[in-house]
Amino acid sequence: MSSMKSVIHAKDLKIGYSEKAVLGIIEKLEIQQGEIVSIIGESGIGKTTFLKTIANLVKPIEGILETFEEDVVTVRGRVGFIPQKLGLIKHETVFANVMEGAICNESIWRSITGFHEKKTIATVQEAIEQMNLSDKINETVKRLSGGQQRRVAIARTIAQKPRLILADEFLSELDDNTADNVWNTMHDYVKADSITLVIVEHNVSRAKSAQRCFSMQNQDTLEYATLTEVE
Amino acid sequence: MTEENSIPVDLLKFYRRSKYLFFVIITIGLTWLIFADLVDGNWGSLENSLENLSVFFHESLWPPEWKVLEAQAYPVCDRSLEIMCSPGYIGIVETLKIAFVATGFGFVLSLPIAVLASRNLYRDEVAIPFRLLLSAMRTLPSIIWAILFVIIIGLGPVAGVLAMTFYTIGYLGKLQYETIEGLSSEPLDAARAMGLKNSEVAIRVVIPECANNLISQILFMFEYNVRHGSVIGIVGAGGIGYYISTYLKFLQYDKVIALLIVLFIVVVIIDLLSIKARSYFVDDATFKPPSLFGNIFKGK
Repeated sequence: MSSMKSVIHAKDLKIGYSEKAVLGIIEKLEIQQGEIVSIIGESGIGKTTFLKTIANLVKPIEGILETFEEDVVTVRGRVGFIPQKLGLIKHETVFANVMEGAICNESIWRSITGFHEKKTIATVQEAIEQMNLSDKINETVKRLSGGQQRRVAIARTIAQKPRLILADEFLSELDDNTADNVWNTMHDYVKADSITLVIVEHNVSRAKSAQRCFSMQNQDTLEYATLTEVE
Repeated sequence: MTEENSIPVDLLKFYRRSKYLFFVIITIGLTWLIFADLVDGNWGSLENSLENLSVFFHESLWPPEWKVLEAQAYPVCDRSLEIMCSPGYIGIVETLKIAFVATGFGFVLSLPIAVLASRNLYRDEVAIPFRLLLSAMRTLPSIIWAILFVIIIGLGPVAGVLAMTFYTIGYLGKLQYETIEGLSSEPLDAARAMGLKNSEVAIRVVIPECANNLISQILFMFEYNVRHGSVIGIVGAGGIGYYISTYLKFLQYDKVIALLIVLFIVVVIIDLLSIKARSYFVDDATFKPPSLFGNIFKGK
């Protein structure tokens, strides 16, 4: 028996938005703690829906899906989700956006009233420093470049301290150099803290640099997509 | 054979090019038919309307009686400027105060209701009853609310404030939940995946992301409430409308027109100031706020 904990376990999992519109079936998937996994596949095939299902934003249609060895549930701060367009609060400052991640480690009362603990503020500042955004701390996010915005999204995730990060094509609009830089930053961060990362990525060479790479594709004879590991 | 092939090609092309023209003609035709039904054959009542208007304008309305901007005989004026004791000044200041307080109260009360009525934040079981509540508050026009509050608490500006507050909640609440529902789903998805509660998502994500639109809506609502100050005053709920109503009762139309001109000038000034203020909250970072007088000529 492996000493590593299972982070995602799926068996005969049917994903989609209704029984009539099944996007994919995942026969078997096992992702362990600390693994870096990438998923490639054509647009519209169901990769985002799969990530949202793991994040408990979309309910599975059928089958087994467990995260952290229990049925998929939302636990405060445990999963970090970076959507394709990052999901940042564009009118807020870098500090406020990173704080959104950090409040997961505070009580709801503190989160709502804004009376944050000193250690939470320190966590936010640390995450911003780690992403080299200290000089932009009070800048509104919409005024930042694409690369900087992605670093804000990573800083938000760092401040959240999740055990699993789900990133959906969040490098897609960047040039290759910037994308590689952001990818390396993310890679180093998850490696150092043994965090599990599942990333949907269009760039095949970058996707293959992950420990494991899966391909989501439609089989000729089937109406839905399946997930197969790329060797 | 397809349906398209059975119709002459020229006719089909003409229809495609002119479908908007058809739509306009049909709309105008329908409107005229309904109007004719309302007139019910009594076209004679419209015959002398322009002449009547001309007589009424020259004999009763014009010129305006500017004595409404002079101090009233009683009570004795103890202020530094005589105009500050005039019905015009007292009425318009009271209208502005009523509109300001009602907009403030209305905003504070409508925002939590709008959040609860947003279907991208709460399930239909929660959202729909709050939508119905807002809809019910909007169904009654501010004048009906004013009549209700005058009956409950008596004549005066407090009834006006409450009437406008209730209407503001209904109207502003609808604008607010529509703005919230127009938000991109991604910030909400990111926050929900983190495990934040709906109250946290509302305060930390939704309100900051919608802030510009919310501020713009407050300014719009303030303008709206000032304009309606003349209406609710007619039923005794305070403001300039109270004086308009009194002069109407005594057939002093020249004083009514003078007060309406005062109200018009104040509304235009507020409109210009709010366009200017709103321009600071537009989303485009490169947008240059217009000059104040440019607003009059450029419409922005």
